[in-house]
Amino acid sequence: MTEPFLSIRGIRKKFGSFTAVKDVTMNIAEGEFMTFLGPSGSGKSTTLYILAGFQDPTDGDILLNGKSLLSTPSHQRNIGMVFQRYTLFPHLSVGENVAFPLRIRRRPQAEIAERVKAALKLVRLDGFEDRKPALMSGGQQQRVALARALVYNPPVLLMDEPLSALDKKLREEIQFEIRRIHQETGVTILYVTHDQEEALRLSDRIAVFSQGEIDQIGTGQELYANPATHFVAGFIGDSNFIEAAILSNKDGKARLALPGGTVVDGVPMHGGKAAGKASLLLRPERLSLSQAPVDAGLSVTIDDITFLGNNIEVATQTSSGDTLSVRLPFGHRAISQLTRGDQAWLSFDSGSTHAFA
Amino acid sequence: MLLDFEKLGGLRTFLIGLTVLVCLFLVMPIVFIAALSFGSSQWLIFPPPSWTFRWYHQLFADPRWLYSALTSLKIAAIVTVLSVAIGFLAALGLNRGTFVGREALRALFLTPMILPVVVLAVALYALFLKLGLAGTTLAFIIAHLLIALPFSIISIGNALEGFDKSIEDAAVLCGASPWEARLRVTVPAVSHGIFAAAVFSFLASWDEVVLAIFMASPTLQTLPVKIWATLRQDLTPVIAAASTLLIAFTIVLMVLASLFRKGQKT
Repeated sequence: MTEPFLSIRGIRKKFGSFTAVKDVTMNIAEGEFMTFLGPSGSGKSTTLYILAGFQDPTDGDILLNGKSLLSTPSHQRNIGMVFQRYTLFPHLSVGENVAFPLRIRRRPQAEIAERVKAALKLVRLDGFEDRKPALMSGGQQQRVALARALVYNPPVLLMDEPLSALDKKLREEIQFEIRRIHQETGVTILYVTHDQEEALRLSDRIAVFSQGEIDQIGTGQELYANPATHFVAGFIGDSNFIEAAILSNKDGKARLALPGGTVVDGVPMHGGKAAGKASLLLRPERLSLSQAPVDAGLSVTIDDITFLGNNIEVATQTSSGDTLSVRLPFGHRAISQLTRGDQAWLSFDSGSTHAFA
Repeated sequence: MLLDFEKLGGLRTFLIGLTVLVCLFLVMPIVFIAALSFGSSQWLIFPPPSWTFRWYHQLFADPRWLYSALTSLKIAAIVTVLSVAIGFLAALGLNRGTFVGREALRALFLTPMILPVVVLAVALYALFLKLGLAGTTLAFIIAHLLIALPFSIISIGNALEGFDKSIEDAAVLCGASPWEARLRVTVPAVSHGIFAAAVFSFLASWDEVVLAIFMASPTLQTLPVKIWATLRQDLTPVIAAASTLLIAFTIVLMVLASLFRKGQKT
């Protein structure tokens, strides 16, 4: 078996009695765009800081091309990083900021000039060499920071929520730039964010962090279609959860009784419990709505109908009090005849839902 | 605003008048001394009967005045360098450190500012006598460093407070060793604080007189000590001339400092 490019093995980090990272293990291929996605305090940033060398893990190892990184101090790891906050050197011009890593490495003047120019061109800021960072917008500053982190061709680029200080429109613009730069340079990127949309937009694979552990690693589509845990199901995409009773659970397929008595069969089940309660995931866009009663359907009352442009969001309530959100395409037949307070039936393909216990 | 200056009416005139009086009160002694140093009267009569450079000639003719000025300059320069260097390290530790007793240590560093200088002087004098350091340049430097250091720690500490540590981390990932990052990135980024620390430290030593009187020996005197010693022997306008030069030098330094700060902002 060939050695993985970057291998994170059993990383654990304790701060006093608090364990910030419990057991993080993953392999990252060369040129891959891997995103650590999770809420704040889930250990994703700590893992990134351990990679950068700002923190030492309590346990575990990190191998780059088969060699451990841990004994190498930060400044000798040759890793690039873009930070959450603006970190351009305030006393240096844009050109000198980008030249800094090359000056530290004592590269010849001609090479520095050439590479600074190329790096600024890569982030579409050519001609800004003499500008002082204080006179630039937040988006421009982060692009300069990106140029500075890439100018010495690091094998790995770390990005710690680099866009969180920017507004939504600018964020999307720079996400597009980051994708382009990733494709042009082929650099391996480890990206930390708490924004699922950003993760889905940018990444080859996403590692979902929860309470210091990785719940699941996979492509955005895998995480959406086959979430391994309740947390992943709730974090990726929109979701409704309703509580159900387990009637039977065999070979990963369960038979569940929903509140109100509806029984569904063949639900992919995560967890081996054969009885008790389970949480059933119903994606709003996977629910069908009809005026007439359906088999294995849920009877609901319509609470609210919201028109959202290309789709319509319907808030419904089951007889047992669960609220379920349903997303229908614009022009859906049933909804045009329904108003608030009406009775309707929801149905779904039980094989494409998931239950967690 | 409730206390809008434009809407104060009669009170406004009163406040302007009061401000002018306070300013005069502060400036008059300086003007007075400067005028006397150019006055012809041996007995410091004001207003001077006529004008002369005689006292300046006498001042520059006496090598002891020049020597004490050079002594002052030398001590102040060494104190400035040490105060900025130690102040930077101390401020860095107090700003970044997470050790127990950090606030107590900060308070300890600042005590020379609150402690009556004469108490500090007596204590240091007793200590230096025991160590055999009394009357040496080293004793002078240590004593002045003690009172200069709080200024450095405060001004550099304030500048570090407004400096994001992530910027230093970024420099480290760019390949700079931690100390290289501090020297090449943190120091220039807090240069306004370092410059203020240097000016205050220099002045703290340059015109300090109480500690200097205790540390001085007949052969080692700073300019303020020389002025004070001469004053005790006889009242001569040469003292006014020396004082005027001392003040002029201080003013030039302050003006340079403010020019530098202005230049940095643009």
